[in-house]
Amino acid sequence: MRGLVLTITALLAITVFAQNKQLIYGVEEIPQSLMLNPGINVTQRMHIGVPFLSQFHLNAGSSGVSVYDIFGKSNVDINTRIRNKIFEMKNTDFFTATQQLEFFNFGWRSKKEIYFSGGIYQEVDFILYFPRDLAILGWEGNRDYIDYEFDLGELNTTGDLLTVYHFGANKRISKKLTAGVRMKLYSSMFSFRSTRNSGTFVTRLGDGTNNIYEHTVENVDVTVETSGFASLTELDGASQITNKILGRAFFGGNFGLGVDIGASYDIKDNWNVSASVLDLGAIFHTKDVESYHASGTYTLDGIELIFPPLSAGQSTFPYYEDLEDEIEREVPIDTLYNSYTQMRPVKIHTGLTYKFGRFIGNDDCNCKNEGGGIETNQSVGLQLYSIFRPKAPQMAGTLFYYRRWTDYLSTKATYTIDSYSYSNVGLGIVADIGKFNVYIAADNLMRYGNLAKAKSVSLQLGFNIKFDEK
Amino acid sequence: MKKNITWLFAAALLILLFSACIKDTDFNETIQLTPVVELNLIHFNLDAGEFYDEATATPILTVRDTTELRFLEESTIQESVTKAEFYYKFTNSISRDFLIDFQFLNEANDTTYTTQALVSQGSIASPVLSEHFDTLEGDPLLQLFEASKLVLHVTISSSDENVVGNLNMQSKTTYYLEF
Repeated sequence: MRGLVLTITALLAITVFAQNKQLIYGVEEIPQSLMLNPGINVTQRMHIGVPFLSQFHLNAGSSGVSVYDIFGKSNVDINTRIRNKIFEMKNTDFFTATQQLEFFNFGWRSKKEIYFSGGIYQEVDFILYFPRDLAILGWEGNRDYIDYEFDLGELNTTGDLLTVYHFGANKRISKKLTAGVRMKLYSSMFSFRSTRNSGTFVTRLGDGTNNIYEHTVENVDVTVETSGFASLTELDGASQITNKILGRAFFGGNFGLGVDIGASYDIKDNWNVSASVLDLGAIFHTKDVESYHASGTYTLDGIELIFPPLSAGQSTFPYYEDLEDEIEREVPIDTLYNSYTQMRPVKIHTGLTYKFGRFIGNDDCNCKNEGGGIETNQSVGLQLYSIFRPKAPQMAGTLFYYRRWTDYLSTKATYTIDSYSYSNVGLGIVADIGKFNVYIAADNLMRYGNLAKAKSVSLQLGFNIKFDEK
Repeated sequence: MKKNITWLFAAALLILLFSACIKDTDFNETIQLTPVVELNLIHFNLDAGEFYDEATATPILTVRDTTELRFLEESTIQESVTKAEFYYKFTNSISRDFLIDFQFLNEANDTTYTTQALVSQGSIASPVLSEHFDTLEGDPLLQLFEASKLVLHVTISSSDENVVGNLNMQSKTTYYLEF
């Protein structure tokens, strides 16, 4: 089993994921839709996710550049293409990698009509904003940028590897309103962040008093916080590091607490509105914490020779050492061991649904609804998604069409506008074959002809055992 | 019939997913970072009085000083620099010519690379600018990278108690890097 976990983790580690699961949100037939809104209407009596296969979600994302932009066949030299992209992209463009693997997921309806659900999943969440100025400096050097102030504050990145233990409750409160809450315990295996940085680096022509240039770092304030990292540096080899990280998956790391809340409300027979807030919480990094902080202002003029009169055997000043000491004194890099608290990236989902088509249920008995909204075989609607990121929330808007073809087959088609593209079409299928529930969903289908041209790709797949209401 | 629809949908999506491909790309092209970095090197300001010992009333024709340049030994720099252009700028208000010897030494104090600059005489009223360029590629660059320190010899053509003025040197290096 451990081999399987390692294999799956390794497979997932090389792919990247995004958190918006617009194809799953609001699809009641998929038990994992409870993970996106703990307050949706739950139709089954009980469910058990197939361990390690109940949710498999995959997406690659970069807002400013696609693989094709760089590696596409072209008459233009690849280095020119990279250079053009560096200048074209903005410092608000980003690369993200978020991945979730559900270890298991279960749920049941209690006698008091509360649907309890819980489980464990592992998550990787990474974002790097494009540090445009640093990229220019790295790509071009400073020769053609005399007097240009390179912004060191553009360095902005976070990364997390954690296990999430969750347990939630969902209840139909009235005929129209269903609400739910989910508590989460986070166990962080590895974390880093560097989000509040400032300072500039500039090369100016000297005023003639010292040397040709003045290389100045000005008001530098750069912090990199890490947890779960320091102890890894003492280890030898990838397998030791992997074992150590996996060892933390089960209550071995830094802990945090969070909550998901959500609700669904039938405004009228045909109209439903829903909303959820996920991962409202924080991780408290207290163990294995190591942070680095550089600050100060310094101008490098080069080495000034004094030509001291020396007697035989005397040596001159240690200019080079003095310079190194001076830099360390003026722009010290401190290593800190202070605990820190890290807010989880909060996600908000909202949805508005209009239902139409033929009624679902036993002939004219509208048993499932008991006066609430009607259940029909088709719906259209709008979903909005937002995730809070260090610089600004990233948002996505989705139009969807849902159709239940038979009792055991439903589909959902989506058109999504987000930071990556304006032409993201997705399709999801969910089938209940006996007690076996299977779903598969993929977006950016228009790009599947050539994935290299896509700025984001996503695939979700899962298997559950479901027991419907008698 | 209903089951057929299920399989039809599933098959269509799976075919689409499995037909996904990456094409019209070439991952064999070489990506090369070629930044050009300008960096100050050494500088000094020598008063004419340094070239005459008043106590013994004798001229001092050569003064010298040494500094370590340990970054030359850094393997990342050695592996990535393909060309180095040294630029030395002298402003001389002393009415004497100067000869400047740049002697790069390794740890064992063996000379690995040398270069020499001539500085024309000037006057306090109108200092004279002299420049020296030294471009290193290939073997001379490798010789430079064997060094870890630089000895500077500043030799005045002649000196006496009446010599006045100032010799100023500023310098920079342009490194052409390739990663």
